[in-house]
Parts: sequence; structure tokens; C-alpha cells
Amino acid sequence: MHKSSLTKVLFVLPVLFAFVMVMVVPFFFGLYYSMTDWNGVSETINFVGFVHFFNVFREPGFLNSFLITGAYTVINVVLVNVVGFILAMIVTSHLRLRNFYRAGFFAPYLIGGIVLGYIWQFLFNNALPTLGKLLDLDAFQVSFLSRSDSVIWAMSGVNVWQYAGYIMLIFIAAIQAVPSSLMEAAKVDGAGYFRRMFRILIPMMANAFTISLFLTLTTSFKQYDMNLTLTNGGPAARFLDEPVKASQLLAMNIFDTARANQMAQAQAKAVILFVALVIVALLQVWVSKRREVEQ
Amino acid sequence: MRRFFGIATMLAVMTGAHVMADTTVTMFQLKVEIKDALDAYAAQYSAAHPGTTVSVETLGGGADYGGALKAKLQAGQMPDIFVIEGQGGFNLWKDYAADLSDQPWVKDTNLAFKSGGKVYGFPVSIEGYGLAYNADILKKAGVDPASLTTRAAYEKAFKTIDAKKKQLGLDSVVSMAASVAGGMWWVAAQHNLAVYWGGGLAADDTSIINKALKGQLDDARFMQYAKYLQLLYRYSDKNILLNGSYDNQVGAFAQGKAAFLHQGNWVDPNLKQLGVTFKIGYAPHAFLDTPEKGLFLFAPSWYIVNAKSPNAAAAKAFLAAMAGTPEGQDYMVNQAGMIPAFKSVKLQPKGQLSQALMAANARGGNYGVFFGMLPDGFGQNVAGPIFDLFAQNPDNINQFVADMKKAVAGIPNSQ
Repeated sequence: MHKSSLTKVLFVLPVLFAFVMVMVVPFFFGLYYSMTDWNGVSETINFVGFVHFFNVFREPGFLNSFLITGAYTVINVVLVNVVGFILAMIVTSHLRLRNFYRAGFFAPYLIGGIVLGYIWQFLFNNALPTLGKLLDLDAFQVSFLSRSDSVIWAMSGVNVWQYAGYIMLIFIAAIQAVPSSLMEAAKVDGAGYFRRMFRILIPMMANAFTISLFLTLTTSFKQYDMNLTLTNGGPAARFLDEPVKASQLLAMNIFDTARANQMAQAQAKAVILFVALVIVALLQVWVSKRREVEQ
Repeated sequence: MRRFFGIATMLAVMTGAHVMADTTVTMFQLKVEIKDALDAYAAQYSAAHPGTTVSVETLGGGADYGGALKAKLQAGQMPDIFVIEGQGGFNLWKDYAADLSDQPWVKDTNLAFKSGGKVYGFPVSIEGYGLAYNADILKKAGVDPASLTTRAAYEKAFKTIDAKKKQLGLDSVVSMAASVAGGMWWVAAQHNLAVYWGGGLAADDTSIINKALKGQLDDARFMQYAKYLQLLYRYSDKNILLNGSYDNQVGAFAQGKAAFLHQGNWVDPNLKQLGVTFKIGYAPHAFLDTPEKGLFLFAPSWYIVNAKSPNAAAAKAFLAAMAGTPEGQDYMVNQAGMIPAFKSVKLQPKGQLSQALMAANARGGNYGVFFGMLPDGFGQNVAGPIFDLFAQNPDNINQFVADMKKAVAGIPNSQ
């Protein structure tokens, strides 16, 4: 018994070491730097307390990023899961070529966010406006990416297109784990398709929703690569009477701050992002967990 | 005796090893377009100087050079030669900048990076810009480029060309990009805004930018500038202006779809690649009511020798050879296609725009470029969105002026 627990510790050790060195230690360093005036180079580091934490909330650009990141996350959590679930229902039905569809819906997930951003940028900026001119549709003639009111939706659309297939895979596994006897019994008792889906299938796969919601929530909150290549934060918009970047999500705001050699301010923003993400994610897991059923 | 011999051998080996020890000078630079030429020159220099090896690492284009340099510092791999792009970079790295005042090339250039009376930076090259024009199109439209010396003259010329757009095969008069989305904030919010900081003044007159560093705009001058920018925006292709990338912008001019291009001489290699055969020249960014004829010339970046490196002497020798030997000058001008910042270099670069700049440099009366004196991030994070908003709605000039006034007022607090 004692020997086997030693083995366990030994097995965990390499990963634990890596985790501590690249996650835990930098995390506490980051916390410390967020309360200093360090610029990334200078050898003198002065402790300034919570100054940056107060200052960033007076910065319209950061507030705007915070708000649109929230909006972007809500849109994505809803759309990715709804679309992912519908796709999963389709490809687990008695459809011909369903394996082909499964592969097809999953394929966008395999494209990296950078490449994906460029592909869709071309579609939005060149293909759609050309189509709009040909068909004389006013709505398409100006790129969705250059309108501050539509750019978040365009980004969400691309994200759904990429991510729904992955969530679909999680849902497929969950749907297949639901005992078919349950579904058949309900069918015999006269429950319709949607009644079976909402009363039996969805409650039985609540744990899949917990993980899917968590994944979509955290990835949307931390979105950077596709944001960079698709919109680069543009176009400019007006927020609290200040010019800001309409699609600059939090991660990009943090990076741009760091790039302007304001390392400590950027670090303070990163800590705020971390705290916000932890609160929202824990809340979501807590709510979702209460809905799960023991099988 | 035997013992003595042993010690002597040991000493000989030690001193011998000291003489033979190979010094490796590491250089970390950001101009992607000169990477191959610089690698080749470094190899050539290493071969000609036994005991010294120069190894060059390049990271640039859209990549985060400043971040990578900080990472190298933290990793204990600070290069012996690195690059700064202005005052902001110097303030950040000044502890690592060696004093180069005694170097032989210092008296051969006006563009060395100086601070507090000492020289710290080796000017990588001269870059510059005006408003590039397609001479063939202007000739067909009946516009004399020499007449473009005031904003009123530009307005008249733009109107003339705009009226003949169809027969000249143009999409727009000007090819300019100003969007945050296309990553082109630097054309508008850095290079075009530099017209306000230095245009029409003596090349070393920093009065306007010094005023801005104290939080003030020169209202009358700025209004003239805003009207000039408005003019450029109104005659630009909307799609390129609001969405376009560097390639879109340069491509439109290269294909003869625009008569003017708002870019510097760094587009020469791009134009060559795109097979441009028409004649190109530079007209001044004449934004004032009074005539202006100069172009904007500056050193975009400087090499800094790491003062804390044991190889600093070898690094200084490498830079001195680059400026002072025929091989080094051949590399700068013929291989890398740059305009050298050193007066004694007689070679001519091949690009049309570079040649136009060389001619302007010889003629004199050019203007200084001072955006490097602004706090880090001002162009990208503060002015960028303001110029993008103005491009979206060029009629709203008062809003643009108000936004810039507010942004400049915030400069003293952001340092």
C-alpha cells in the first residue's frame, strides 16, 4: 500500500514540477509585479500597491474591452452550445452519411485560430462585399468587420463555426452514453421527440453541459488569436466619449498595454481578467453541477 | 626543472587559449527585409576577422521585437547589439546602452542617436517619405508634380485627377490606409501625424512636439493639418482606407489604380516585386497654406551596443566596419538596398523612391520626423483609433480636432 502511493507520487512529480514552474511560480510573480512600477527591463522595482488596479478602471479602452468580452462570451456560450447540441442530435440520428457529417462539422476545429482568422477576414472583407454588389444587397456591401455594431457578431459567428464541432463531439459521447432502454421506455409510454429530449436526454447528459459550458466560457473569455487576425481590434468606435477599439477583447488589450512597455499595468489587467474568469467559471460549474443526475 | 616546464606549458596553453578564444558577437535585429543581406555580411565579416564570429538573429514584421528582447534579457541571453526605435526605447534600455561617442563613424553622420551630449545609437539607415506619385498618370492628367507645394495646389490637382478617374483607369486618387483593423495605424497616426510635428520647420525644430509633450496643440497649425488629412481621406479608396492591409495599399498603387501612395521608400522592394515599370517621384506633404518643398527624412532605428557585455569592443568594431569599409558600404547600399546615413558613402541605392530621397537629402531643406519622442503606445493605442474614426467620417473634422486635443492633453500624465 505504502509502496504504491510512493509510485503515484513519483508519477505525478514530473508534471507537478512543470506545473509549479510554468504556472504557479509565474502566477505569484505576476501578482507581485502588478503592484510595482516595473517596465520589464529596469533593475529598480518600486512597490506601488494597488494604484494600477484603480487606474485601469478609469481607462475607457479597458472598460470597453471588459464589456465586449462579456458580451462576446455570453453570445458564444449560448450559440456554440445550442449549435453544437443541434449538430450532435443530427449526427446521432439515423442519417445516411452521418460519419461524413461528423468529420465535416469537426474539421474547422482542426484549423488554427490564426489561419482561420485570415480566411474569414478575406470572406468578410472581399467575398461578401463583392457578392453584395453583384446581388445589389446593401447590407453586404460594407464589410461586417468595419462596422462597430456588427463586428462582435461576426467574430462570434466565426467562433461558433470553429468551436461547435468540438462541442458536438462531447455531446455525441454523452448522448451515446444515455441508456437506450430509457429512451425506448419513454417512447413506449407515448412521449414525443421533444419531450424525450428535454425531459430525459438533456437531464441525463447534464455533466456534458457542465464541461461544454466551462470550455466555451473560458475559451471565449481568453480569446486572442482569432481576434488578432480577423479584426485586429478594429474598427474604432466611441465609448464614454473616447475613441476605443470596438473589437479589442481583454487579452488583446492586455497584450497591447504590455507592448507599450507598461508591463505592470498590463499585469494588473491580467490579474483582473484572472479574478473575473475564476468567479464566472466557478459560478457556472456550481450551477451546472446541481443539475447533474447520478446515473 | 620539470615542474617549471610544466607550469610554463600550462601558462602557454592558458594565454594561448586566451588569444585564440573565439568571440561571438550576437546581434538581434528587426528588419526582416534585410535579413539575408545582413546574414551574408556577418558571415563575410566573420571570415575576414579570425577570432570574431558575428551571429545575427532577426525577428520583425508583425512580431513583438521589444517583448522578445525583454525575454532574452530575463533569460540571460542579452544580445551584444540590439535595436531601439526612438526615445521611448532608449529610456527603457539606457542602462544597457554603451557610449559610442568615440567611434570613427560619429562625425560622418547627422543621424546618430544622442542623449545628454553623448552618442549611443548607430543609425541603421535613412528612411523617408513624401507623397509618392505615379509620374505617368500625373502627366496624362496634366498635373505638374512640381506645383504641389501647398494644400490648395493639392486640392486642385486631386479634383482634376478625380474628374478623369475613368479615363485614367483609377479607383481612387490616393492610396492610403488608416485602419486599426488592417494594422495600418502607423501610416496615419504616426507618419501622417509627423507632418504636423515637423512639416515646414527646420529639420531640428522640435518646438511643436515639445509643446505636445507638455500637453498642448498649436490650434491654427493643427487645423491646417486636419484639413490636409481630410483631403487625403476624401480622395482615398474607402475599402483600402477602412479595411486595407499594407499589401492592399501598395498593390493598388503598383497596379496603377491610384495616382498617389502614402508610403516611404521601404516600399521599393515591394514595387519591384510587383513589376512596376512606371516612373515614380516624391511630392512634399504640403499641408500649410505657405509653400513647402521638403520631404521627411529620419533614421527609423539605431543599433545599440550592450554596455554590460564582455564583447562590447568586438561589437563596436563590427559596426565601425559596416560604416567605414567598402564591404560594409556595399552591404548597406547594394545588398540591403538601404540609404546609408553616412555622408562619405557614395553608392546609390537602386529603388526609385530611395533615389528620390537621396536627391532630396543632397538638395537639403527637408523636415525632421519626431514621433519617436512620444510616449510608447501613443500612436497605436491612443491616436490610432482617433485617426480610424476620422477616416470613417471625414466630414467630422471638429470631432477629430477635439479628440486629438484631448489625447495630446493626456500625454504628460502617461509618461
